[in-house]
Amino acid sequence: MRKESTDTLPLLSTLHFPGMLYASTIRSSVARATSVHLSHDPLPAGYLCIAPADVAAEGCSLLLSEGISLFAHADVSYKGEPIGLVVGPDAAICDELAQSATAVYEEEDPSLEWESFSSSQIAYRYEIDYGEVELAFAKSAKIEKAIYRNGIFDHHYSEPMGAIANWEYDKIAIYCATQWPTHVRQAVAAAMHIAESDVVVKPTNLGKSLDGRLWFPSIVACQAAMAAKICGKPVKILYTREEDFLYTPKQARSAVTIRSASDEQGKLQALDVNLIINIGAYNPMAQELVRQAVAAITGIYFCPAMRLEAYAIKSNIIPLGAMGSIGATHAFFSIEAHMNHLAKILGKAPAEIKMLNMMSKGSSNFGAPALGYEIPFSKIHRQLEKMSDYRRKYASYELVKKRDPGCREGVVRGIALTLGYQNGRSYSDLPMMNAYAVETTLDRNLNLVINTQASIGSDSLKAMWKASAEAALSISGEKIHFAPPNTDTAQPCGPLTLSRGASIINRLIERTCRAIQKKRFRESLPIVVKTQTKAISPPKDPSGQDRGIPVFDAASWCGSAVEIEIDRISGEPKPLAVWMVVDAGKIVSKELALSSLRSSIISALSLCTGADFDPEKGGRDQYLHDRGMRLTDVPDIGIEFIDSDKTTLAHGLGELPFITIPAAFYSALTQALGAEPRQLPLHGSEILRLLEAP
Amino acid sequence: MIIDVTVNGEPKRLQARSGDRLVDVLRKDLTLSSLFSDCLSGRCGRCFIFLDGRLVHSCLIPAFKAKGSAIVTFEGLRESPEVREIISALEKAQAMPCSFCKTGKIMAITELLGRKPLPGEEEILEQLDMVSCPCTDPVSLVAAVGIAAELRNKRKFNRADK
Repeated sequence: MRKESTDTLPLLSTLHFPGMLYASTIRSSVARATSVHLSHDPLPAGYLCIAPADVAAEGCSLLLSEGISLFAHADVSYKGEPIGLVVGPDAAICDELAQSATAVYEEEDPSLEWESFSSSQIAYRYEIDYGEVELAFAKSAKIEKAIYRNGIFDHHYSEPMGAIANWEYDKIAIYCATQWPTHVRQAVAAAMHIAESDVVVKPTNLGKSLDGRLWFPSIVACQAAMAAKICGKPVKILYTREEDFLYTPKQARSAVTIRSASDEQGKLQALDVNLIINIGAYNPMAQELVRQAVAAITGIYFCPAMRLEAYAIKSNIIPLGAMGSIGATHAFFSIEAHMNHLAKILGKAPAEIKMLNMMSKGSSNFGAPALGYEIPFSKIHRQLEKMSDYRRKYASYELVKKRDPGCREGVVRGIALTLGYQNGRSYSDLPMMNAYAVETTLDRNLNLVINTQASIGSDSLKAMWKASAEAALSISGEKIHFAPPNTDTAQPCGPLTLSRGASIINRLIERTCRAIQKKRFRESLPIVVKTQTKAISPPKDPSGQDRGIPVFDAASWCGSAVEIEIDRISGEPKPLAVWMVVDAGKIVSKELALSSLRSSIISALSLCTGADFDPEKGGRDQYLHDRGMRLTDVPDIGIEFIDSDKTTLAHGLGELPFITIPAAFYSALTQALGAEPRQLPLHGSEILRLLEAP
Repeated sequence: MIIDVTVNGEPKRLQARSGDRLVDVLRKDLTLSSLFSDCLSGRCGRCFIFLDGRLVHSCLIPAFKAKGSAIVTFEGLRESPEVREIISALEKAQAMPCSFCKTGKIMAITELLGRKPLPGEEEILEQLDMVSCPCTDPVSLVAAVGIAAELRNKRKFNRADK
């Protein structure tokens, strides 16, 4: 039975320490400036304004890393960037004082353009040039080019961003909800110029995070730590929901240009891809975002020649970054939209073109290791067609559209299916990104204690890990516990993204349990076994160039079908039903897996139907109009697992909806509209315009 | 200003400024940790209270408006059989919400079952839509409310478990 976890601390909002002060952030009112001088009216007794100069005077660093300021002082890089703090005993008064503070700036024109950019805006670049691309384009029967765009979205996570810093005896303790405690510890130690062992991070309840808490909590934690050092008291920073919405990282927006060459049947001969991800002011995970997007765009369809340029581009808006599947959502949506486009040009069904080009055993893209096994896409595809009645519905919606092209009388519906995968690793060269460790102890009372920082994860994940340990050691779940995930005692871990790290941790837990089982009746208790992953990076050729990204490491496979209807009055697209077929290895708890997938499907649908955030506009209006999908609008959801009994390994599955649902939703939309809008999300007025276009 | 109210059955005297929201005053003066001052726009449901028997967003109520009212928060209901049944039902259906929205969802279910002993799926979803948090899937939540309704009705009509 799933009960609330007691292994992590409660929510940050509910934590309080004696003598604790509150801090509110003073934010820049301009998007770009070369200097900033903070001023404020005299503060009431007990209140203090902390400016960047005060931080520097304490010997702390104002930069987290190159280009990432903890407090903007010399360079303002986005509107709303922190330029100081007001600290005091009453949070509401701190908020008022922070809002009334003013600053004088040496303002410059912000660079908001990102689709055409200058070299100084490039944060990361990745390039692939493989095979005879130009020759293939010269010889091919069909050459198609299109550009696909997607918007910025909020994560709608549980608690707003925040942190408490408290000096506890000889260490500074940081309390915050983070997906990556090790990163917080490293950041605070670097910013304060102290040893990492002098910082202990005690993660608070994470709730649902959707990859919104990967690295930004480290910045807030550093600010709280500096304030605590200056004030000599515990300091809590807790953003308001509106502040969180307006100024914390969101899903990055992207523009993907795809030029394809194919033969007359639709078999791909060459791809020329230009992928641009706007990361806003900065993002320390830009490399990971780009590489995950590249893996997604190049991983699923075989193509003998490929040229790809991928960029993470900076601009003077709030930092933008990961959501759900890191960068894969954008990329899958683009490549799937392009395959639909090809199908339309060739007069074929999208599913036919996709199956024709799908990667298969022995095939390999741009020199990456050849696929050593058959991807189960055909099986997934057949099952999905059966579940969703795809063929009949697709044909009948096509027929309706032919009879009534303007959709004036008939029902405006579409259905589409998409295949995709979630890989089980990170591609970043950042230290600690791929380092996961677990220490498991069977004590004298036959309690099994699993020690890993990954225990910050959801109760569903912990239930899955418990079940694996239970099966390996044949001990009752009640005897299995997780050690608190604080950085002093727990084994270090890379970021616990939505479910990417989950399968790695599961394998490590299984490995330690099997080792304990071998020793169990030979050695005296307690038995302690520790294991960890090896750091991995993309393979390189002798000249040091990446040899392609091994995209299918510990992958989970899935297919999604989405059926939608367009409201003929408002133009809003409404999902009618969603079906998913998943091959994620062993399913430890079917109920929890179903529940986790259903809730991720709803979040993924929100990306397709919700409002996209425009940081250049900012403002309260956008905040008030932003919300996820209404529960009453949630469509019927059917999910089936295949081949879960053929393996003992469990893989992550939480990202699968973010990877496949937006692409399937978009494809269904193009069928319903009979047009290719080439962007997500798409709203009523634009849809009505497309419907009414001749 | 001073505001006299009854909170969870006890008379209380609250100290508030003219623009203060009721949620902030309740949190600050009475340290009621079940209440969150979150969206401040009546969408998230994390500040639900019963004000004179009506479920309201306390972030939308100016503190002075509560003068003379009877307020019931989650703390006042936590030990009631109704709430215990709801918690047990959420556990049974594996639909326990995250710590951030749990009390809001329980308050919303309490109100619904008080008004409608056997709610339909649409009514349940309408009600729970007042607490916007993506942590729990709606299928499990609907199942949980069904179980809670059954437990409540069995207790009310003195029906033993079969």
